[in-house]
Amino acid sequence: MEQLVLHSFLETLFMVTASMFFGTAIGIFLAFLLVLTKPSGLWPKPWISQSLGVFLNAFRSIPFIILIILMIPFTRFWVATSIGTAAATLPLTFAASFLIARIIEDALNTTPKGLIEVGKALGASNLQIIFKIQLREALPLIVSGLTTVSINIIGFSAMAGTVGGGGLGDLAIRYGYQRYDFTLLVLIVIILIVIVQCVQMTGDFLEAKLKK
Amino acid sequence: METHFLSIIIKNLGKSYNVAILKDINLEVPQNQILGIIGKSGAGKSTLLRCLNGLEQPTTGTITIDNQLFTGVSDKERRRIQHKIGNVFQSVNLLSRLTALENVMFPLKLFKGNSKDIRSQALKLLHLVGLNGKENAYPSQLSGGQAQRVAIARALMGDVSLLLCDEFTSALDSETSLEILELLRDLNKRLGVTIILITHDMAIVREICDEVCVLEAGQIVEKNDITSILLHPQHAVTKSLIRHLMTKDLPHHLQEKLNKTPTDKCFALLRLFFSSEAAGDPIIASIVKTYDVPINILLGSLDHIRETAFGSLIVSIPFELEKITNIMKDLDQRSVSAEILGYFPQNGGHSWNS
Repeated sequence: MEQLVLHSFLETLFMVTASMFFGTAIGIFLAFLLVLTKPSGLWPKPWISQSLGVFLNAFRSIPFIILIILMIPFTRFWVATSIGTAAATLPLTFAASFLIARIIEDALNTTPKGLIEVGKALGASNLQIIFKIQLREALPLIVSGLTTVSINIIGFSAMAGTVGGGGLGDLAIRYGYQRYDFTLLVLIVIILIVIVQCVQMTGDFLEAKLKK
Repeated sequence: METHFLSIIIKNLGKSYNVAILKDINLEVPQNQILGIIGKSGAGKSTLLRCLNGLEQPTTGTITIDNQLFTGVSDKERRRIQHKIGNVFQSVNLLSRLTALENVMFPLKLFKGNSKDIRSQALKLLHLVGLNGKENAYPSQLSGGQAQRVAIARALMGDVSLLLCDEFTSALDSETSLEILELLRDLNKRLGVTIILITHDMAIVREICDEVCVLEAGQIVEKNDITSILLHPQHAVTKSLIRHLMTKDLPHHLQEKLNKTPTDKCFALLRLFFSSEAAGDPIIASIVKTYDVPINILLGSLDHIRETAFGSLIVSIPFELEKITNIMKDLDQRSVSAEILGYFPQNGGHSWNS
């Protein structure tokens, strides 16, 4: 049984880290696009920010379990299979990136207008303003946002079992619930609580370090 | 002071959004000068400053900074000139995650690589603004005045020859803002940097400006050196800004009783302002004698405009239009600037007599 739990734990770890990694990369890109192109942004292109906003909201309204199913053809194309841990990671990445895009967008938008004008008056370019001023100032908020998303994604990963993704959540459903192994169920819940607690504490620690 | 070289030339500048904010502004600022642009809120001061620092493009007219055209040029050229302009904003706007030293280094770090030179210039400037030992403090650990000093040091990084200040003392207490103004005057002398500051407060202008430019409804209505502005204001807006400065010294209970128009049997409150030359004559005594009026001295102080001392008296005289007019004329001939601050009703206003 220890083997089973360890294996599932590693699966969860893989799915969450991989989807958070790629999700953050995509999310940052989308967030920058949203912030730059909004009407009061540094590169105002309202049609981009508005259509991107609608697109993100549309995807975020789809329940994750449905998103997995809807994405099966897409997953098959990219991962060459629609079942397994890697296959479950793709929808997780998408879900993460949409959440992260909104969270980083909010964080970047908290930069005081005056600070952006300091950059403009210095003759800084838009990219310099967004990287050297906005991103730098927003970093603590971004870290705390990413912590929240990580915890969400740990929860989402429980549904990965639908496409044979494995992981702790899947183990809890199949062995703990369907096979009435109550001890295992409780054990997994405790492990999940510990993981979430660790993620939150690491996030809080990093945020405090970044905040001056 | 060398004033043959012009730091800024503004010609026929206009700015309008849907309505005209600035109309036909013409202004020349000699190098090394401290120019105050004063006006009530909504007069267009901030817009003018934003045209000068390149945050706004004027609708018409041109701005030339250090002999280089600043308006209607390419983004690249504008940015190059922006490097010569330092800005001190109303809110301090420091990067919260950088230390004081890193904040000062920030403008140059943005564009140049040699961080050793940048660091030594930043250290020098931090010392100049009086922040020794605070190099590694974060903005959250600094007081409002200290943070503003960091912002001033940051504004002076690089080869800045023009410093633009936007109502920057409004967030500071009066003592701290006096210190900051002193610092600016010192930097103006030591570094030869031209300073333009906008404000609605005549007290700030009096403290540091060489020249004053009064803005009203998007136009320059008066421009003169500070002494002339304070002693012989021409335009109604200038007069009202100065009146505000003068009455600010009055005790609160007197300010409340002050009327703008004379009533029956009232007292006129006069502010007399005289230079050291006029201070030798027994002016009050001779007026009491000549016009046979009881003059009551409410407040006397030594005032100053930059480094020149002026005597200042606030007196009350029973109001008689003809007499007051004659007294004012008489005072003017003795080169004493007199101005009516307001009127007290006879009964209520008399309580300060006892």
